Amino acid sequence: MFALRSISAKLTIFYAALLAGALGFALFGAQRGIEHHAENVIAREMTASAAVFDRILTMRSQQLGEAAAVTASDFGFREAVALGDRATMLSALDNLKNRLDLPFAFIATLEGELIGAGGAIPTGEREAIWTAIDGGSQGGVLTINDQAFGTVVSEIRTPDLAGWVVFGYRADDEALASLAGMGSLDVSARIVDRASLAPAFRDIALEDARPYEVTEGGERLLVSANPLDSLVEGRDPVLLLRYSLSAALAGYGPMLWSLALIGGVTLLLTLAGSFLLARHISRPIKALAAATQRVSGGDHAEVKVDSRDEIGELAQSFNRMVVAIAERERQISHLAFHDALTGLPNRALFREQLDQSLRRKDGDGGCAVLCIDLDNFKSVNDTLGHAVGDRLLGAIAAAYREALDGETIARLSADEFAAIVHGDGEAIEAKVRAIIAASARNFEIDGHAIATGASIGVAIARQDGDSADMLLKNATLALHRAKEEGKGSYRFFEPRMDAQAQERRQLEIDLREALDRGEFELHFQPLFCLNTNRVSSFEALLRWNHPTRGLTPPAEFIPLAEATGLIVPIGEWVLHEACRIAATWDEPLPVAVNVSAVQFRNPGLVSVVFQALARSGIAPGRLELEITESLFIENAAETIEMLHQVHRLGVRIALDDFGTGYSSLAYLRRFPFDKIKIDRSFIVDLLTSDGASAIVRSITALAAALGMETTAEGVEESGQVDVLRAQGCTHIQGFLFSKPVAASEVPKLIGAIGERRAA
Amino acid sequence: MRTIALILMLLRPVAAHAGDVTLALRTANGRPLADAVVTVHPANGVPRTPIRFPWSYDVVQQNLQFVPHVQIVPVGATVRFPNRDRVRHHVYSFSRPARFELRLYGRDEARSYTFTTEGAVAIGCNIHDQMTGYIKVVDTPWAARSDAQGRVRIASVPGGAARVTIWHPRLRGRESESVYNVTIPATGTFARQVTLETR
Repeated sequence: MFALRSISAKLTIFYAALLAGALGFALFGAQRGIEHHAENVIAREMTASAAVFDRILTMRSQQLGEAAAVTASDFGFREAVALGDRATMLSALDNLKNRLDLPFAFIATLEGELIGAGGAIPTGEREAIWTAIDGGSQGGVLTINDQAFGTVVSEIRTPDLAGWVVFGYRADDEALASLAGMGSLDVSARIVDRASLAPAFRDIALEDARPYEVTEGGERLLVSANPLDSLVEGRDPVLLLRYSLSAALAGYGPMLWSLALIGGVTLLLTLAGSFLLARHISRPIKALAAATQRVSGGDHAEVKVDSRDEIGELAQSFNRMVVAIAERERQISHLAFHDALTGLPNRALFREQLDQSLRRKDGDGGCAVLCIDLDNFKSVNDTLGHAVGDRLLGAIAAAYREALDGETIARLSADEFAAIVHGDGEAIEAKVRAIIAASARNFEIDGHAIATGASIGVAIARQDGDSADMLLKNATLALHRAKEEGKGSYRFFEPRMDAQAQERRQLEIDLREALDRGEFELHFQPLFCLNTNRVSSFEALLRWNHPTRGLTPPAEFIPLAEATGLIVPIGEWVLHEACRIAATWDEPLPVAVNVSAVQFRNPGLVSVVFQALARSGIAPGRLELEITESLFIENAAETIEMLHQVHRLGVRIALDDFGTGYSSLAYLRRFPFDKIKIDRSFIVDLLTSDGASAIVRSITALAAALGMETTAEGVEESGQVDVLRAQGCTHIQGFLFSKPVAASEVPKLIGAIGERRAA
Repeated sequence: MRTIALILMLLRPVAAHAGDVTLALRTANGRPLADAVVTVHPANGVPRTPIRFPWSYDVVQQNLQFVPHVQIVPVGATVRFPNRDRVRHHVYSFSRPARFELRLYGRDEARSYTFTTEGAVAIGCNIHDQMTGYIKVVDTPWAARSDAQGRVRIASVPGGAARVTIWHPRLRGRESESVYNVTIPATGTFARQVTLETR
């Protein structure tokens, strides 16, 4: 058995089976119906034939009975009988036999004699015949030597009963066969005694004259047996009619054959028709299936639609689906490789294109990777909202695309872009400047004029790396360097940067552990009061005893600590340590501690200061926090509030590195600093530049006016001390007086300096 | 007629030493047997005087029937056959005592025949087969016919031995007769109930 996979095969087989079943049923029904009908017809004919035979026999009896009655009533005949005139009787009987063509005719006398029966009736039968007639028999079948005869009996009255005249007629097979010719069926008739019938049929024939089916030598026969009157008692003659059913049904054979032929032809036509129909249906389905496979394989496969039926609609829907899938695939792949906001390629596509450029550019001119980072974008998002920020990014992307003129530009993350530019060193630098210029202009977004800028790191292919990864990494390093050096600038990658970056990473790792390992240490540099000529206070300075690098200057790790946030725990340690040490001093001199802007972002700073004071037990007035102007750039209001809190404790606040950066006099007005520290850059030039001197003078004047002390940093020559004293500066700090010393050296220094100055 | 005959019979003088014979005739299945003829022949013989019965000897054809159906006449009696029907009749007899034929005759015509021999004569009509009748020609004055109840009474039969003969057309036996030898009492009644085999 093979599996029916295809629709056409299934449909064909199904319809063929259905029709074959129906045809078989119809044929069977027709055959049964015909047979049943034929049997019924034959049975009815049989019954009719039996009735016809019966009637013919009856008529024959009546006919002869009348003739017998006429004979019996003939006056001369009666007279001969009455007179016992045997000769006359015999001649009269002969005459009747000839006239009516009878096999026999005789007179039965009351005395028991059968006159004229000689020859025809065997002597042995005579007694029974006379007894039957004398008993009132009216006639009936008489079988002599297996030959059946019909008899009629008529009384002879003279006028009293004088005897009976009996006529016999032939009812043998031959005579009945000539009667059968009168019927419409080929019936064979025979009169037999019931006793000669088969026992089973004998009983049925008794009950019912209806035809009974028997099989004789393979031939089906319908048989009926109709009882007949017997002349003599003790006999039971029946009229046996036999009809061959097989022969009758044979006539219906051709009809059944032609029905079967019609059925067969219909079946073949249906097979062909349903096969064609199924093929017609399944062909477009196959086409759809094939197209579906191609689509799932990634092809764009549409199906030709040439019908308007359900399958045609399906094919149209399929085609629409294929188009929709292709469109969505295009969108998805675009989204996968592009930034939704700006429409620029994303990092993945950028890397791919960079890889392609690197492979393609073997031997061709140079190419470089640019990492571009927007300056101050975060503040735009924070102050104007993300919607404006997003539109700004879009505008900048457009500006970059325009500036780069066909070169690849991609957006890597929030405010980070990257570009691949081609050409020699000069061409590359020109394009970098074009981007800087494009970034620097004012963008008009929703009525806001936004000034922005960009920093760029550049890595050149081959020279700064062979792989996309390497080039991107190095360009990023260069970007960081550019950022460090100030906004709106660019840097080309240098191999040193990579080493520094690695060193910086190691440093960060070490820094995280330095506090636990106790690698930090505080050194103290004394500040000298020009008015009292004494050491007035110490500035605590952090030193890191790195296990391999040795003593590491703050400039190398403080920015890193600030960038990583480690400055918060480190600064806390410094505050505690400085206060603890100060508490050991013989004289209650103030100790100054530098506090980073990052520390001010931590709201816990005030309590840290409080704890440091409480734990060490020194008076708040002995602690001085040195802050820089950069503190005010972000969150100025909060910072000032924290400063006030600390100030209220009694802690002194000093403004460090005054004169650099965005030094603004407004700060001095907004917070009542206790001291201003003049940046060392002014002090270095003090002896050579008039301007420096003037600046120092104005600062001291300003400080004096505001009630603040002034400290000059980086004093290294005694000449400088004189100038500073002349300009009204109250304190000095620097190598001239003392470089920073270990905590253990401080008590000695307090005494020593005092002694020296005193001396 | 019959009533008159009966009255005449009753008026007859009763002979000395004579008895009555009364029979009740039944068929085997217990039905009364009518129209049977009973004759008595005393052993001493019958008188030589001519026999006369008190009833008419006519056999009338009326409604295609012979009336009476059974007629008793003495030997020598001439019986007339008047036709009261509108159709013609052809009365005949093939009986041995009297073979005769009265060819077609019509209404109100009467033919007659004189019966000279004792015996039962069956008469018929050659035209109407169903018409049968019987004339019992007797040679004794003691004869009577049974009525519808099968009763027969013959009066004044001389006492002593006698032969009683019962005849009926359907009676089984020779000549359709049953014969009994009885002794008639001198006085009184000889009464018997007789059961007869009929065809």
